[in-house]
Amino acid sequence: MIDDRALRELMGEYQQGRFEAVDDLFAALAPVLRRYLIAHARDGARADDLVQDVFLQLHRARHTYDPAYPVMPWVMAIARHVWLMDQRTRARRPWASEDVTEMELPARGEAAAYTEKADVRRALDQVAPSRRDAVIQHHVWGHSFKHIAGKAGITETAAKLRSSRGMAQLRMLLKGHGPQKAQKP
Amino acid sequence: MTPAELRAHIAADYAAVRPLPSPLLRALWVAPFALLALLAAPAFFNVRSDAAQLGWRTLWGASLLQFGIGFVLIAAALRESIPGRAWTSGQLLLWIAGPLLTLIVLTLSTAAVSEIPLGARVWWRVGAMCLAGSAAMALPIVALANVLAARAYPTRPLITGLLVGLGAGLMADAGWRIFCHFGEPAHVLSAHLGGVIVAAASGATLAFTLRTPAR
Repeated sequence: MIDDRALRELMGEYQQGRFEAVDDLFAALAPVLRRYLIAHARDGARADDLVQDVFLQLHRARHTYDPAYPVMPWVMAIARHVWLMDQRTRARRPWASEDVTEMELPARGEAAAYTEKADVRRALDQVAPSRRDAVIQHHVWGHSFKHIAGKAGITETAAKLRSSRGMAQLRMLLKGHGPQKAQKP
Repeated sequence: MTPAELRAHIAADYAAVRPLPSPLLRALWVAPFALLALLAAPAFFNVRSDAAQLGWRTLWGASLLQFGIGFVLIAAALRESIPGRAWTSGQLLLWIAGPLLTLIVLTLSTAAVSEIPLGARVWWRVGAMCLAGSAAMALPIVALANVLAARAYPTRPLITGLLVGLGAGLMADAGWRIFCHFGEPAHVLSAHLGGVIVAAASGATLAFTLRTPAR
């Protein structure tokens, strides 16, 4: 059980600008948040990602905490919001909920045949740079999404999303639905 | 993102912050616009022709009561925008149904003292004017209160906006009813209440537009 008085003090210090309070808050709150998010997500890795997101949101919303009130209801309301928004994002983009490495991507097989072809280069050239980087780093160089996310300063989910969107765009372009022919020779 | 990267990310824009004042204090920001909405119609146009018959209490007293309820609703919306201090479903039902019921009771009690009927020929035209007028007077309050709510962290923006719009609509209509000459309940409960509902819908729409992105 977390001592609410200690948490209130930490939040007060956090609001006043003592940066070390971030570490203490993280140590106190992360296990509780992880348990809560695992109970919802039923996936440890996803829960870890969400814990990070919750802390980013706590940081953004730190001015809304009123020291006259307990800390946990405030924290849990933000955690629930992050969880619900994540659910909504996944519901809107079902492909984002899958691990791209586990997905059946018809383009993978096709890509092998296209590897040396100028068409692939042309199509890649038309994919947005952030998506192109994610596609190349993951599908060509074999980097993990965690690694890609760390390098780009984004969440792992965002890296997966970039890669899957980039692949989808690439497939479209290779099928001739995109404007690739008008671009570079 | 590892905990170290998270720490670095937070450190990048870390600064001391001042906690938000209480919702009631923050609601005071809308007071000048709300007072303008209360006084604009009677000041620029006129006070209704049956003002003497209605008396101070039924005319200004009832409007001030409606105005006060609208103000409290804005404060309730600002409280709703703070994580962990959201209203329960039952409380929300009271916050929404209570003011609307008050509006109906005030309309009927005003009509019991003086009911100037609206002729069929102008019923729609006057109705549209009252609906548009009271909704338009509410818009500046809706906008400002929604910005105040968005500066917190509304986790249920539609509900926050709905409360904001309802409060703003009631405050604006409190002024409009002092000007509108027609106390006929059918007119008030369609056009004036319609203005409040339009304000509530605008509030919800604006709050949804300004909602906090979670990722």
